[in-house]
Amino acid sequence: MAIVETKELTKVYGRGDAAVTALRKVDLRVEPGEFVAVMGPSGCGKSTLLHLVGGLDRPTSGRVALNGQDLSELSDDALTRLRRREIGFVFQFYNLIPVLKAAENVALPLVLDGVSPRKAQSQAQLWLERVGLSDRTDHRPDELSGGQQQRVAIARALASEPALILADEPTGNLDSRAGDEIATLLRRVVDEWKRTVLMVTHDPRIAAYADRIIFLKDGTVVDEARLVGGNDGAEKLVRQRMEDL
Amino acid sequence: MSYYIRLALRYLWGRKLRTILTTLAIAFGTMLIFGMNGLVPAVEAAYRQQLMQAASQVDLTITGETRSSFPETALEVVRGTPGVAHASGSLVRPVVVPPADAPLLPDGSRLGTIVLSGIDPETAPQVRRFEVVSGRLLQPGDRNVLVVSESLARKASLEPGDRLRLPSATGVATFEIVGVIAGEPGAVSDEVYTPLPVAQALLNQPGRINTIEALVVPGSDARAVREAALARLGSGFKLGENQVGSELQAAVEMGEVAFNLFGVLTLAMGGFIIFNTFRTVVVERRRDIGMLRAVGASRRAVIGLILTESLLQGVVGTAAGLCGGYFLALGMGAIVGPIWSQALRLSLGGPVFKPATYVLAIGLGIGVTLVAGLWPAVSAGRVTPLEALRPAEGEASWKPARRRAAFGLALVVVAVLGLASGNLNLASLGAVLFLAGLVLVGPVLVRPIAGVFGRLLELVLAQEGRIAEGNLARQPGRAAITASAMTIGLAILVALGGMTTSLESGLFRYIDQSLGADYLLMPHSMVLGGGNVGAGPELAEAVRSVPGIAEVTTVRLAMGRIGDTDVQTIGIDPESYPRVAGLEFSAGEPEEAFAALAEGRALIANGIFSAQSRLQVGEELTLQTPEGPKTYRVAGIGMDFLNAKLATVYVSQENLARDLHETSDILLMADRAADADPAEVRAQLERIVAQYPAFSLLSGDEMREEYKQMYGMAMRLLHLLMVTLAIPSLIALMNTLGINVLERTREIGVLRAVGSTRRQVQRMIVGESLLLSALGTAFGLLGGLWLGYVLVGALNATGFKMSYFFPYSGIVLAVAVGLVFGVIAALLPARRAARLDLLAALRYE
Ligand SMILES: Nc1ncnc2c1ncn2[C@@H]1O[C@H](COP(=O)(O)OP(=O)(O)OP(=O)(O)O)[C@@H](O)[C@H]1O
Ligand SMILES: [Mg+2]
Repeated sequence: MAIVETKELTKVYGRGDAAVTALRKVDLRVEPGEFVAVMGPSGCGKSTLLHLVGGLDRPTSGRVALNGQDLSELSDDALTRLRRREIGFVFQFYNLIPVLKAAENVALPLVLDGVSPRKAQSQAQLWLERVGLSDRTDHRPDELSGGQQQRVAIARALASEPALILADEPTGNLDSRAGDEIATLLRRVVDEWKRTVLMVTHDPRIAAYADRIIFLKDGTVVDEARLVGGNDGAEKLVRQRMEDL
Repeated sequence: MSYYIRLALRYLWGRKLRTILTTLAIAFGTMLIFGMNGLVPAVEAAYRQQLMQAASQVDLTITGETRSSFPETALEVVRGTPGVAHASGSLVRPVVVPPADAPLLPDGSRLGTIVLSGIDPETAPQVRRFEVVSGRLLQPGDRNVLVVSESLARKASLEPGDRLRLPSATGVATFEIVGVIAGEPGAVSDEVYTPLPVAQALLNQPGRINTIEALVVPGSDARAVREAALARLGSGFKLGENQVGSELQAAVEMGEVAFNLFGVLTLAMGGFIIFNTFRTVVVERRRDIGMLRAVGASRRAVIGLILTESLLQGVVGTAAGLCGGYFLALGMGAIVGPIWSQALRLSLGGPVFKPATYVLAIGLGIGVTLVAGLWPAVSAGRVTPLEALRPAEGEASWKPARRRAAFGLALVVVAVLGLASGNLNLASLGAVLFLAGLVLVGPVLVRPIAGVFGRLLELVLAQEGRIAEGNLARQPGRAAITASAMTIGLAILVALGGMTTSLESGLFRYIDQSLGADYLLMPHSMVLGGGNVGAGPELAEAVRSVPGIAEVTTVRLAMGRIGDTDVQTIGIDPESYPRVAGLEFSAGEPEEAFAALAEGRALIANGIFSAQSRLQVGEELTLQTPEGPKTYRVAGIGMDFLNAKLATVYVSQENLARDLHETSDILLMADRAADADPAEVRAQLERIVAQYPAFSLLSGDEMREEYKQMYGMAMRLLHLLMVTLAIPSLIALMNTLGINVLERTREIGVLRAVGSTRRQVQRMIVGESLLLSALGTAFGLLGGLWLGYVLVGALNATGFKMSYFFPYSGIVLAVAVGLVFGVIAALLPARRAARLDLLAALRYE
């Protein structure tokens, strides 16, 4: 069964003259263990798609199913629980809670889920180690570099052991070296820790880390590419496709 | 939960200054409520401890229903009741010891009021147990001797052989202390005992007593005997002791209401500041909250987090407020105590904090914080996870909601009803609702008002003024929050200012009107019924015969009862009283009213009493007297200064003597002939008064001056409190202004990037702050003026007749404060804005 499945997913913002159709009948399947990148020009609806898949927003029509569960049937509380347990988010602006230390930020979803603080803390420690930040656990977000903050955010997304990681421009705010580090980390998330990643990005170089790329334009899926082989070839291919759009 | 507390603490700690200031606001309100309510019972306790007659262990106590005296023959009726074994009559009254003669107390003050019991030396020991500590008991045939209670003896270092001078109807009498007796267990009142005939002569009540105590025959049914005795006595009697000093109680309760009004307004202010802060907090943290929601925090968890923060502040603030309140009560006690004992001849103890006071202060302190945090918390719960992802553009949630404005308008209407109800409690609730309504209506009015003030500001600040105005118009909701902090503060200030000015001028008018005589022979307690011993007719005669005295009038006092209200019944001479003194009438014609008093059973009711009983001129009332019920017609409604706070009726002295058997003069007023030599007259009067130490001679001018000074001082104290009230609104203003800058970091960055100088950015922020405070000041002034006007009206409805005085100086002050605050509040944020790192500002978001 697909981990993510959308059927004729449509999102319209505003109404009347001001109505903007951000997504138009999008059908999408993501299989478990896949690393999928979503690309497309600015304003084509990439973030909107991610928000709908993550249950952060509700579609105008069509449906989203996670592991066969239709999100439109869930109450706000049930959606919240789902986000807590089944989905991990990584955003462009890291979005850490500024008053919490790195480890506390990572432990947050666990604590919210009622895990004992001690257990949550040790789990957080473990994930910080895995993303290579074991020496930064007691630092506040403003004491960390952008790349480090994003790694904390990834650790947080993984801490509750969700099956699906959603990342919206996770490297958008980073220089290319830090961007590569984050993309490599996401690759490990799929290969080593067997999670599924759905990532939005502008950057062909970052998209080239994915297994599959979905191209979006004006709210519809216009193309799709499966990547095999080395990064360099993939990157070239992606650039080519982007220019075609 | 502990995790939320930790998170809440971190957030609070992250903004130390703001946390401290908001907590202070709550602490402040709690402090006032707790402190004031701790002080008021201290006043009550002063009465209770010093004046309450010890409850005795007798089977039967009978007193006059109106607290007045009755003939000794009643004693025989009780003795004749089957089942009564022993009975004894006594005359018990509080008596103010003339200060010149009073023994010194260890604390340096002088003994004030004591309770004098005239007892029958033969029969009293049959019904009560008197345990001699030293000396002896009273014996038949004793004349001017006293037995004193142990507590008084200890307090005033009195022992057998000492002498004590007490005032009497004919001047003064010297007593020798012959014994000290142990009081009833637990009794702490300052009691002295003297033979009944001596007390009767002293108090000008020959042949009269006011208490009968009896024991029943062992084995008989005490209750049945009580009923039988009461039945045989007929009407006008009741079971149980007289509550000595209950006249004063009413005055104290009045003060309590005023204090609570003040405290409630302060706490409302504190609550508003918490509310304001948390609304700000929610805006400021929208991204954090959205983030929490995105990673799986439920709505309830978010609401819980905000409420935890407010609760933490509430708990800490309330605790600090309790401590502060304790010291406030101590301090106020130290300031007010001496004035108090001077005016009323009672010494004030330390503050008393009853469990109910704790409940009130803690409940209000924490309750207000929670309630104030609730709305922001709920709106925080409504923040969607998407907010974490959008760049901060807070406008959407700050649009002026028409529905909210309509609700605010409804609140104002309800408030007006409360204020107009004539009930002080409802009125104070109304005042709070009114302010709340004002805050809700505010946002709708921001745009037009900002336009007007903005144009004014443009004249001064040109370009920056226009930007500031634009900023306000773009976010009328948030501008209104900021301005409302100012509004609330100033409205309270101006309302209280108007109220105190009106109160002050009202009181001064009463003083001038009713104490307008050239000379006053004043008793020592300002509350006439508070233990003053009146003089017989000789004193008035003596004063009248002084060459150069044109006219003398006297005031007499007895206690009566109308319906179930105890009323002071004041006897005046309808001829001379209006000429020498006078009443301030609010209904009826003075001339007709006084004439009616002279003609028959008619009375003039004072404002408090007529408001309590909703009296109409011409109505007939039944006055309970020892002679049975008597019908009096209301001839007018008017009041004098000394009795303004107590339910009082004025009747002719003739009727007072006939119905209530009171003929002593408790206050004398005299006018000088136009051609008399003031020094000469005064010297003569001094000589007379020297013989009557219960009185002191005051020239009218002196006395009015003295009262005015006293009230002036109280008013200054009130003004000081009001100014401290303004501080929290400064905090609130600074808070919201700070947030303004924070939210516009990027905008400011852009302004700087396109070439605004630091100075220009600074001027823009200051301009905006000035605009906001001008807005707040305008609203505050209007609201406050109106509120003050209505509060004075509410006071009027309670019978305290006064007209509203426009607080000119208060307004000037308010405008000055408003503008100065506007600049002060802007300085910090303006500095921050100007110092902003350009690149950081642009990178923000
Ligand atoms: N809250 C909203 N209200 C109205 N319109 C919106 C809202 N959010 C997005 N849109 C519109 O929907 C369309 C898709 O937006 P979306 O954010 O999904 O684009 P995107 O592909 O993520 O763009 P970018 O690469 O710039 O992030 C855009 O035209 C945008 O203007
Ligand atoms: Mg996007």
